[in-house]
Amino acid sequence: MPKNKLNVSRRDFLVGTAALSASTLINFQTSAYAKEERPNLASKKARVVIIGGGYGGISAAISLRKHNKDVDILLIEKNEFFVSCPMSNLYIGDIMEYSKLCYPYNNLTVKHNTKVLHEEVDNVDLDKKVIYTNKSKIEYDFLVLSPGIDYDIKEGQKEMLLYYPPAFKPGGEHLYLKKLLSEFEGGDIVMTVPSYPYRCPPAPYERAALVLNYLKRRNLKAKLYFIDENERPIINSEGFMNAYYELYKGYAEYITGATIKDIDYMKKVIKTSNGEFKFDIANIIPPMKASSLIEKIGLLEKGQKWVEVDTFTFETKVPNVFVIGDSARSFLPKSGFGANMQGKAVANIINERLTGKKYKQEELLMVVCYSMVSDKEAVMSETSFKLNLETKTVTPIHREDNIRKEVNVKRYYEWAKGLWREMFG
Amino acid sequence: MDRRTLLKTCSVVAIEMMVNPSIFNKLLAQEKELYKAYKKTMLVKENGQPFSTSDIQPNTALLFFYPYASTPCYLINTGSEIKPSKIKLNNGKEYEFKGGIGKNKSIVAYSAICPHQWAYPNKDFSLINYYPPTEKSQATGRSGVIQCCAHMSVYDINNGGQVLEGPAEYPLAAIELIEENDIIYATGVIGPDQFGEFFDMYKSDLIAQYGNIRKAKEIPDKTIVMEVGKYAKEQIKC
Repeated sequence: MPKNKLNVSRRDFLVGTAALSASTLINFQTSAYAKEERPNLASKKARVVIIGGGYGGISAAISLRKHNKDVDILLIEKNEFFVSCPMSNLYIGDIMEYSKLCYPYNNLTVKHNTKVLHEEVDNVDLDKKVIYTNKSKIEYDFLVLSPGIDYDIKEGQKEMLLYYPPAFKPGGEHLYLKKLLSEFEGGDIVMTVPSYPYRCPPAPYERAALVLNYLKRRNLKAKLYFIDENERPIINSEGFMNAYYELYKGYAEYITGATIKDIDYMKKVIKTSNGEFKFDIANIIPPMKASSLIEKIGLLEKGQKWVEVDTFTFETKVPNVFVIGDSARSFLPKSGFGANMQGKAVANIINERLTGKKYKQEELLMVVCYSMVSDKEAVMSETSFKLNLETKTVTPIHREDNIRKEVNVKRYYEWAKGLWREMFG
Repeated sequence: MDRRTLLKTCSVVAIEMMVNPSIFNKLLAQEKELYKAYKKTMLVKENGQPFSTSDIQPNTALLFFYPYASTPCYLINTGSEIKPSKIKLNNGKEYEFKGGIGKNKSIVAYSAICPHQWAYPNKDFSLINYYPPTEKSQATGRSGVIQCCAHMSVYDINNGGQVLEGPAEYPLAAIELIEENDIIYATGVIGPDQFGEFFDMYKSDLIAQYGNIRKAKEIPDKTIVMEVGKYAKEQIKC
């Protein structure tokens, strides 16, 4: 079992701060940890806590509740409402309104009898099975973590995220990136793609296509330097490349297999193994890693970016603690759709443990993916993974439709709406 | 019922079960709503005349609404016999699929609401469609199936709507059909239905289309069978 590292918590800090007046100390302690959060149920009821209200966490909660009416389910999500990263490139490309990406969490409670806490997790004591948030202390029997990713960049570079937000995490980043684009009047744009794996394989390529489409629609004199640390698009390579050459010739330069050496975001220069590029605005997509919470609670091996989990059950080395979604190292590409499937799989496993009722474990997990390459056409791909639990093997089957077409856009919208219906309907 | 009669009945039922285990399964199915009887609704042609088994050609799917005015279904003639079968869910529960009706037992009907994330044929387009044996899906290479091109779930219409591939966790609900005096009636729904979710998820769309939810939930005596293309502007296949 990994050693639980309880870093210096607010409690420790307070106890050590003798300089504070007695009354102030008392106030801090009362507001921080005195309140013990236990939903209004018998203490004998089993409790499943889900950390992260994204595609994985919500799907796990709803699926578990479908199978089990009794278990106490609690979801902790720091944001007050959900914003989808899937489809957000359409907002960046000025095709979709931001509000269409936004959903409230209410129905998790209203329809699915799942308690939602809008608090931030400070730490988890894996031995005692207790979660500490900025407001509460929560005990659990089963824990599902689906906290997403963090950008893997040095402390000193973090300010760059404010100047040129990557927009790969929900929140204000997409809003600011859109603002940069809408105020752009021509010149040079730099986009960077980190070495795979990162969250959502087609996303940077879809974004490049839609940014180019947007520049073209605005009739701007602009050049996009698309700097990719990978040799070619990770997925739908043919579809993206055809679109870049056929639709956006003259607007972009695709620099592949380039290593990014230095980014001076104040001087607006990026140094790579394939040359130096000046920019007026940029979308720097940094390398990614599991949410820093995972490392903080001691689930991340030293030097690793993603959490090791059981291939088939997504359970960590700690019994009844599961990690799903983009934080986990998995055969499933990092994606909202993948996390949605993992959430359902984990819900089945937990329910089996809760009730003792055997269920037929998934033999198939898959990811379906659509990418717009212009404001009217999209390509798509799907990767299915056939699981053989006896031989402990995973067999991938990959299919792509690289012919850009209008009809794929309709499928894309239905793909997203289906997910959102299930999660928030 | 007095104790003696009750015991007699139980022993009779017990013997029957030994002889015909499907009774027990049906009881189970009814308990868990894996079979639900609805109104006996007559299928009619667009001119109002009763719809018979000879009105649907082999390798064809037609659209009708059942049991509610707004819940779409596919009537399919596969051209070959569809045998009854036992459908098993992931949770271990089972139910009976009754097979086809008609001279060749080749006519079946299924709900057209995808059990994965509820795509259904609407007036603009249909993403969930029947692929006759003569028409292979470009994406999956399958034919003789119902396939949903939103998330690529494929359903076996020869086998009670079971999932052949894709992310769906439940089979497509089958519509119970009977033949009376050469007229087709729909009488019930076999398998886990998605009607509750359908009315929930699409509430605002249904209000816009039907004026109010009550109209969308009406259970008519007759239902018109029509060409899919006459209802949905675009059939999106993949």
